[in-house]
Order: sequence, then structure tokens, then C-alpha cells
Amino acid sequence: MKTGPKSIGRAARLAQLGVGLAGSYLAYQLQRPFVDEQRNAENRRSLHRKSAKQIREELQGLRGPVMKLGQAMSMQTHLFAAEVVEELAGLQMQAPPMHSTLMRAQFKSAFGKYPEEVFQSFESEPFAAASLGQVHWAVTKQGEEVAVKIQYPAIREVIESDFKMLRTAGFAARLTGHLQESVIREVERGILEETNYLKEAHNIEHFGEHLAPLSFVRLPKVYRELSCEQVLTMSRVGGLRLQEFLKTNPSQEVRDKIGVGLTRLFFFQLFCGQALHADPHPGNYLFNHDSTIGLVDFGCVKYLKPEVVRCYAQFWSREWVHDTKLFAEIIHVIFGPKVSPDEPRVRRCMNGIRRFYDKFHPLTENPAALELADPKFMDGLNELARTLLKNKFLSPEFLFLSRTESGMCNLLHTLKSRVPTTQIAREWMPAISERQK
Amino acid sequence: MKRSREKEKGRSKPAGKRDRNKEKNKKKILAAALELFRENGLDGTTTKQISQKAGIAEGTLFNYFKTKEDLALFFFQKETHDLVEWFGKEARLQKVPLPEKLFAILHRQLEYIAPYEGFIGAVFFRSLQPHSKLSPLSLESQELRLKYLRFLREVLAQAEDKKEIPAVGDLGAYAVGLFYIGIVTHWLHDTSRGKQKTLALLDRSLNLATKVLKKGGWDW
Repeated sequence: MKTGPKSIGRAARLAQLGVGLAGSYLAYQLQRPFVDEQRNAENRRSLHRKSAKQIREELQGLRGPVMKLGQAMSMQTHLFAAEVVEELAGLQMQAPPMHSTLMRAQFKSAFGKYPEEVFQSFESEPFAAASLGQVHWAVTKQGEEVAVKIQYPAIREVIESDFKMLRTAGFAARLTGHLQESVIREVERGILEETNYLKEAHNIEHFGEHLAPLSFVRLPKVYRELSCEQVLTMSRVGGLRLQEFLKTNPSQEVRDKIGVGLTRLFFFQLFCGQALHADPHPGNYLFNHDSTIGLVDFGCVKYLKPEVVRCYAQFWSREWVHDTKLFAEIIHVIFGPKVSPDEPRVRRCMNGIRRFYDKFHPLTENPAALELADPKFMDGLNELARTLLKNKFLSPEFLFLSRTESGMCNLLHTLKSRVPTTQIAREWMPAISERQK
Repeated sequence: MKRSREKEKGRSKPAGKRDRNKEKNKKKILAAALELFRENGLDGTTTKQISQKAGIAEGTLFNYFKTKEDLALFFFQKETHDLVEWFGKEARLQKVPLPEKLFAILHRQLEYIAPYEGFIGAVFFRSLQPHSKLSPLSLESQELRLKYLRFLREVLAQAEDKKEIPAVGDLGAYAVGLFYIGIVTHWLHDTSRGKQKTLALLDRSLNLATKVLKKGGWDW
């Protein structure tokens, strides 16, 4: 009797990836073998490629939430070697699609009718794959071009069972304190929320309303009558994905304008909407030569607590450096009530934050625009992230915030934008002061 | 042998008016019966009710179907006949990979039985009884079963020719047939919205099975 197939089932595969993968969402377990300075550079690269490829293949096979974790991991570019990021980024657009028979069956099961009964025309081949579904072009009976997102059948149940397994697989990681139950819960909640497309429809409408003052941002329009919990119909948003856009050789001026736009968009969401489009993988942004930015996929939106936003603003304003009361407040928000501001790890984290912001976002009168293409900036970000992880700076609220921020930095870095970050941040500081009062 | 071939030939001739009427009546009775089964269940429906609903004499009903189980068998004969006919006409499906092809076939079967869930549940329960005509071991159900298995065998043979899977022989058709019974059992108990868990199970297991076959897991 020959040996059977290696991939027996999801459980076995999860176990195979084991603790390393479970813990690596917060990138602690994985980064150690990858960031080993002792090894010869070439050997290291080949090891990275091999491991990363294996991880990507395993994640792709699993689909659903674990793949979502892979996407989240790929955004932590400052924590992984370039080869790892490259492989993980492959997950973003390469989910195995539903074949058209399954897609039709699922559409009917969710919507009650077949797509061809609902739309004037419907492309049976998807144009984009998402981890929880796939997107098809269609034309409504009124002749409007739309994108229709269809969810995999029973994905919610799959997610719930995957998380049960993830908890088991991550047990050892939790024992060593690298994967907190609260963090798993937060990720599960976030991902389960993504399975309700009506929630996403609500998010799009919420952002559409709040981002209206930003004329350079383009959002889709929701067709409520053509949507349900597992089918979401939206208008088409123009623009190219990052890599395609870069192939068109945009001028430095356009790159800078888009960079400023992305930074403004980030601050605007945070300080005016207090909600973040928290899935910042490059596929969710569409770029145009007139410097407008299309924003799609609102499945993962994080509505932030005001104190978290205030706390984050303090990273920029650095008032806490001379204000012990403010410092204690920040520590309370980030680390919880049980942690003393005098703990060495707390000091180490806060000093790391201060060093990074002092260096790259100085509070001088007219700081020069930040060259995002500069590898020193990404190195600085890496160093900060390592310091924070090493000292267990892990708050679920900050998880999404830092994920979005590092995603944005990654976009700006790839775009090679020059952005006067401090000036833009200053536009929002009065808003913070107002709220504090 | 010669006689039986002639008999076959005779069967394939266009049906006469009498045969057409017979077929029409059978379908009329089945439609009436299915409606009643849906309302009252298989056991709660009497032959008298069926004949009244179909607008025929009870005696005539017995000419066509001796028992309710014969009616159920006719339901499945019609299903298999329609399935084979439908698949032959679906030009697109002939070109798709095996997992999608099998998905389309099994999903089509589920769609066919979907309006009669209660009836199917009762039939499944009955087929477990050894003396039932619906039992997999009964001679009455063999013809139907063989037709279905031959159809599956042909679909698998196409995939074998295209080197999608290694040669699986008749055992492959039996495996898919048994798999379908498992899927229907799951479907009957599936309380998820739109029975989506069954869709997911169907998709995943067919993909997995094809992968297993490709990797040589069959070769034992």
C-alpha cells in the first residue's frame, strides 16, 4: 500500500504548520528564524524562499481565515524578510476560485435566484479572488456596470471551526505568551464580521458619508436591492492596482500627490471618522494618474475607541515626554490598568516610539518632506516593531491601527513618495486637542 | 440473444399513442402523489387520495403502480433519465475539469429532489428495510441503479481518457454513487442557510478526492 496523500485534511495541515504559524500572526515566532544575522546571506535567502513558499501553499490550500492571517502577516513587511513578504503577498490575489457551477449554486442559495435572472449580463469568470469570496463583473438590468462579490458557501461555519483548530494549534504559543487569547478573539471577531456583506455595505456607506470632504478619494456605491449577507453588488471604481500603476511610470509629482493623499486619508479616517479601513493590502487601493485614489473592500473596518485615537495622536505630538500624568494615561490605555508606567518594558517601548517619531517625524518648525523610498525609514520602522514585539506591546485595538499604519507606510515606500508627514499630522492635532477638552 | 436485441430495437422505436398516454398518466399520477407526499408525508398519503387528485380510478392507479414504493421508484427513474439527458445537452460541462463536472451532476440531483425533502427523507428510511423495493439490494431497484452507475462510469471514463485521474474502473462509479448517498444524508440534515454546508462539503470533497486520485492514493 502506497502512502496516501500528504494533505489529509485541514486539521492535519494546521497541525503541520503548527505553533510557528499560529504565533506568527504577531510575527514573533516566525521572525526569529528569518532574522538570524549569523547566517550567510545567500543561504538565508534560500531558506526564506523555501519556508515562505511552503507557508503560502499551505495557507492557500486552507482558504478562509487562515489565509486571512497570511494576508495580515504579509502586511507586517517590517517584520519579515523581503522573500517572505513576496510569497505571502501572493496570497492577496490568488485564492483558488469557485468554479462557475459552484458560484451559480452559491448565488442562488444566497440570493434565491441565479445571477442571469438578476443581471442583464454576468461574467462567470471572476476578475478577482478574495479570501472569503470572489468578485465578478456584471451589468444590471438598468445597464450599470457593477462588481458582484460572492461569498464561498458556509464560510462562517468554516471560520468558526478553523479558529477552534487555531486555538489548539496555538496552545503552545499561548503558553509562552506569544499569542494571547484576547488577540485571537479580536481577529476572529473581525474576520467573522467580514462574512456579513451587509455589514460591509454599511461600512461603505459610512465611509462614503465621512470621506465626502476628501474629493480625491473614490468609493463604490452599494446596490442594496442586489445585495444580501453573502452577495454584495457595488459600482465599479476606476484605477489600477499598485504594481500595474507603477508599470505606467507615474511621475514623481503624481507619486508625491498620491502619497500626501494616502497620508491625509489615513489621518482623516482616524481623527474625523474614528474608524479605519483596516485591510490595507495593496489590492484594496486603486491608483489613477489624476492622483485620485479608489478605495475598495470594506470588509475589515475597525471602529476605534476615542482614547485609542488620542493615545495614537500622542505618538505624534509627544506631549507625554514632559507630562507624567499624560504618560500614565497612555500606559493605561495601551497596556491595561495592571501595568505600571515604571516597568522597564514599558519604558523600552515608549522610548522606542519616541526615538522613531523624533527621527522621522520631527516636531521642528518646517521639517523636510519624508523620503518614504529611503530604506532607513523602513529600517527604523522595523526596529520599532521589533522593540514593541519584544516587550509585548500587544493591544488588540492597536493591532488594527498599527496594521493599517504599516500597510500605508508600505504603500508609500513602494510608491517612492515624498510626504511632509509632520505638517499633515499637524492639520489634525487641533482636532485632537478639541476632543481632549 | 437475438430475440432480446430485437426487443431492444423495438423499444427504441418512437412510442405509439398508447405508450404516450401511459407515460402521460404515470407523470400525472406522480405529480399528484408528490404534492400529497409534501402535504401529508409518504405514510400519511393513501392511494385513494392519489387517484382522486390525479383524476383517475383507483383501479387504474394500480395498473400503473402497485405500491407507493413503485411510485417512488418511478420518481427516481425519471430523475436519472432527466439527468442523463440534461448532461448530454450541456456542452460546457463536457469540457470542465472532473470536480466541477461531478459537482454539477450531484448538485443537479439535489436540485431535483429539493422540493420533496420530506418524501426523500421517508424514502431513505424505507430503503433501509430489507424487504423494501427501494432497498439497494432489491431486484426492482437494480435497473435504475445500473443506469445511474453506467452514467457515472462514462463520466469517469472521460476523465480517465483526459488523464485527469488514473483508471478507476467500475469501482469509481460505485464510489461516486455511495458518495451521493452520503451527500443526500448530509443534505437532509443540513440546517444551514440554503443548505450551503452541503455545497461546501460537495465542493471540498470532490476537489480532495480528485487530488487524492491524481497523487496515486488510489493505487492500492
